[in-house]
Amino acid sequence: MVSKQEVLGKRPLQILEKIRENLERLNEKMEVMIELQKHGRKDIQPLPETPLDVMTLLSMPDHLRKTAMTLCRLGRATAEEIAQQTHRARAVESAYLNQLVIMGHLKKERKGRKAYFYTEKESQG
Amino acid sequence: MTTLGKIIAVHSYKGGTGKTLLSANLAATFAKHGKKVCLFDLDFRAPSLSTVLKIEKVECWLNEYLNGTCEIDKVLIDLSDRIQNRGKFFVGLANPATEAMRDMSAKDRKWEMRALGRLLALRNSLLNDKGFDYLIFDTSPGLQYSSINAIVGADLVIVATTLDRSDVDGTKRMLHELYDLFEKKTDIVLNKVLHDVYSQPGREELQAKIKDLYQVPLLGIIPCFCDVLKAEGGILFAQERPEHPFAKILDEIASKIDNNMA
Repeated sequence: MVSKQEVLGKRPLQILEKIRENLERLNEKMEVMIELQKHGRKDIQPLPETPLDVMTLLSMPDHLRKTAMTLCRLGRATAEEIAQQTHRARAVESAYLNQLVIMGHLKKERKGRKAYFYTEKESQG
Repeated sequence: MTTLGKIIAVHSYKGGTGKTLLSANLAATFAKHGKKVCLFDLDFRAPSLSTVLKIEKVECWLNEYLNGTCEIDKVLIDLSDRIQNRGKFFVGLANPATEAMRDMSAKDRKWEMRALGRLLALRNSLLNDKGFDYLIFDTSPGLQYSSINAIVGADLVIVATTLDRSDVDGTKRMLHELYDLFEKKTDIVLNKVLHDVYSQPGREELQAKIKDLYQVPLLGIIPCFCDVLKAEGGILFAQERPEHPFAKILDEIASKIDNNMA
């Protein structure tokens, strides 16, 4: 039996947690939109799945290649982990990673509050 | 876990610059210096190491490892008995059968991506777990998938180049448009240099010219040796003729790499 106090104490926390999660997702989407606008693309429809092979890496703009190559090395990572390697801001890496997802090069999976990015090879274990 | 061993890709813009001869002899030189080395033939368009090293019996080809149908242990052939030292010399060969070459040239992007994953996995399976000091990838010239995979997987790219003008131009382009983009440490080996250019003081002038031209470290200059040509690619100079000037130059190159990678 859960006491009234416990319910009252937990609920506001859960609600706040939910709000924070939603804000983070909203923030990520805005980052992607800003990034796409910067590079002159207005559509945000995901492109068909395109494997992140070496020729694709070669043809990428420098800023995305750096992110993509770091993820290739790590296999599976959050924007924070990529940012630690590239020495760029987490928000910047988050935007680039999400752009790579939209381009069909990466996949994204949420686990709780963390978003993990990985390549198709990694998804096959 | 810290990896002590290193992966070296030997690449070039044009064919015929001496990549295979350099790779095989560099691997044998490292082994002669007491290192544990594995040489891989990643030139799937024109495999040649089986001929150079006179190997007839192969349990598993490197093609099969990259296809995911064979473990790396079965690909490795132990040639340590050919090395007169405590070093270990292994090779992994590409299948020279026409059908195998055709099969490799028809692979799609997904396959190439998985092949890169399997190449990268060698760092764990061979360098970390089996204690290899060097893995040397002999590649196809130019922009081939297998070669770029090898470059991406390597710690050091050695570019074998000549003084041929189209080779010089192509090498310069690749330095900026390939190795730089992948942020690879790149060194140059100038091969097939005529003896009158190689002799002092021409050599110092040539060294300065090459460094200025490519803006990357010059690992060594190899003159055009008639003995090497006469051997028709059938002699491992580093082992069979250790006193030959070609073997001596390779000794210097291997020592330089060892010092630079330490």
